Amino acid sequence: MENKTIEKILVVDDELGMREGCRKILVLEGFQVVTAEDGQAGLEAFEKHRDFSAALIDLKMPRKSGLELIEAIRAQDKRILLLVVTAYATIKTAVKAIQQGADGYIPKPFTPDELLLPLRSGLEKRALALETERLKREREERLLEVAFERSKANTIIDCMTDAVMVVNRDRQIVLQNAAAVRLMPEPACQPPSPLSTLGCQELCELLQAALDCGSERSISSQETRLGGCTYMVNASPVQTTAGKTLGAVAVLRDISSLKKLSESKSMFVSMVAHEIKSPLAAIEGYLEILRSGTAGQDPDRIRSILGRCQLRARTLREMVSELMNLVAMETGHFTLKRSPTELTELVSEVVDGFQDRARSKGIELSLHCDDGRDKKVLADRDAVRCIFTNLIDNAIKYTHSGGHVDVRLSRNDVYMRVSVKDDGFGMKDEDRQRIFEEFFRIKSDATAEIPGTGLGLCVVKRLVDMHQGKVSVKSALGDGSEFVVSLRQDED
Amino acid sequence: MERSGVDIVLVDDDPDFVEITSSVLARAGHRVRAFDDPDEAFEFLRGHPADLVVSDLMVKTLDAGFGLARRLKASEETRHIPIIIVTAASSQRGFDFTPHTDAELASMSADAFFNKPVEPAALLEAVRRLTGHTGG
Repeated sequence: MENKTIEKILVVDDELGMREGCRKILVLEGFQVVTAEDGQAGLEAFEKHRDFSAALIDLKMPRKSGLELIEAIRAQDKRILLLVVTAYATIKTAVKAIQQGADGYIPKPFTPDELLLPLRSGLEKRALALETERLKREREERLLEVAFERSKANTIIDCMTDAVMVVNRDRQIVLQNAAAVRLMPEPACQPPSPLSTLGCQELCELLQAALDCGSERSISSQETRLGGCTYMVNASPVQTTAGKTLGAVAVLRDISSLKKLSESKSMFVSMVAHEIKSPLAAIEGYLEILRSGTAGQDPDRIRSILGRCQLRARTLREMVSELMNLVAMETGHFTLKRSPTELTELVSEVVDGFQDRARSKGIELSLHCDDGRDKKVLADRDAVRCIFTNLIDNAIKYTHSGGHVDVRLSRNDVYMRVSVKDDGFGMKDEDRQRIFEEFFRIKSDATAEIPGTGLGLCVVKRLVDMHQGKVSVKSALGDGSEFVVSLRQDED
Repeated sequence: MERSGVDIVLVDDDPDFVEITSSVLARAGHRVRAFDDPDEAFEFLRGHPADLVVSDLMVKTLDAGFGLARRLKASEETRHIPIIIVTAASSQRGFDFTPHTDAELASMSADAFFNKPVEPAALLEAVRRLTGHTGG
């Protein structure tokens, strides 16, 4: 291996001539040289630099002998090339030196070549050993990395909420993630287990189709029922780059909640259709008896029939505009323009607007303010108007002639409260619980003739929610109802 | 024809349907008495057997129409009265009571079945078929 870095050599000898002689030879050969004049100085130099490729060490030195130095250095550096340089070379000392960790020895006196040859061959060996070590370390690191990668992939697949399963060409399940295991009727069986243990015919067929689909990388997907849930299954063949099918993979996504959502939407559409159909059918029926003369010629009767038509048409129109509001709120197109609003002023406007209707029905409609006059709420004026129009309209509708509707404003530290209380029909507890549902209307003798869309309170609830407010209802059948809207006071 | 039209009892709590259907039947020469309560209708029919009953399926309670029809068919005095069941519930919330065979119709204790809104001509035709009267 070509080493671009300059190799450093430590020369330890107590003879100055020897040290300088070695330095000259080595520097000429392109080495960097550090010298030390005894064993102790040699160890200090080694410990200071720590990046020597080799050390040439004299055996007989003051303070610390060559053998001691070799032992100390070898203990700290397994790969440094240690060559003993000695005039008293005997087999005995040489063996001793090798035992202490030296790699070879050069007898004094020596020619430059006699020095360089063993040094070079020793350095080459050292370089080879280092390279081997490096490669080994690299391979170990790589293996560790691969193992880590694999466990990472497994962890990710296991953490997926979608179920993943892989079958081989022999139709055996070879991989299931945690979500897939939970799906299986017999999750205990260890892969590979035959496809048939899935207990889901549809899934088996899908995986089979993916196995059979050959080179086209088609994906089959359909709704599959499994263990009370609905799954969307994507199955595709697992192929090599050459297009050979090794198996098939299926990903199962639980779409039960989406399915439920879509069902509730369908239900809503069907309810809307029904609610619209009834008044339309009534209007059509009335028009038909008017047109055909079935209703007769009595002007009072004709006027009464037209009045009913008008009532039904108005209900329809109100329903349509409330539906549009609901849809706008759901799709987020309905944006509130909130500004500091004085609730007292706004509510009293709405109350004033209802006075004529209340009077004509013989109902006393009154407004009371506790000490709420000074606090404003951050609200959309149109929305607030809509909320209280609906609540007061309902209160008048569902209260007998001679009854009372009281609108009361109060506040605590955080909320402004508006209560709309009547002493009208009231409602049963089971009806009260459903009162904010879409199209929910209480059907009784008392309410049969009262027109309504069944959407008003639903709109009220949504609008109050959009203000992060609260709406609650207290009621008892025959004992009136009280709706309370709480809106947070403006901080400033 | 010995007399003009027949006596019909109409049972429904939908005032629009009562108003419109009464007009249609009356115009055809029939005499209509309307009830919004199946129990009241039943009591009335026991004393005054009519020629025909038209009842909504859901009058206040979910299957009041069925209940009324069963009671009428079970009672000696009223068993002969043909019954027409009408309903608006057909498609709403997955309810579909529309009978597809005579046996299904019979299992409702009914002689004819209509989904609302009911075509006046179809209703009058059913009245004619079940009573043998064309009305006035």
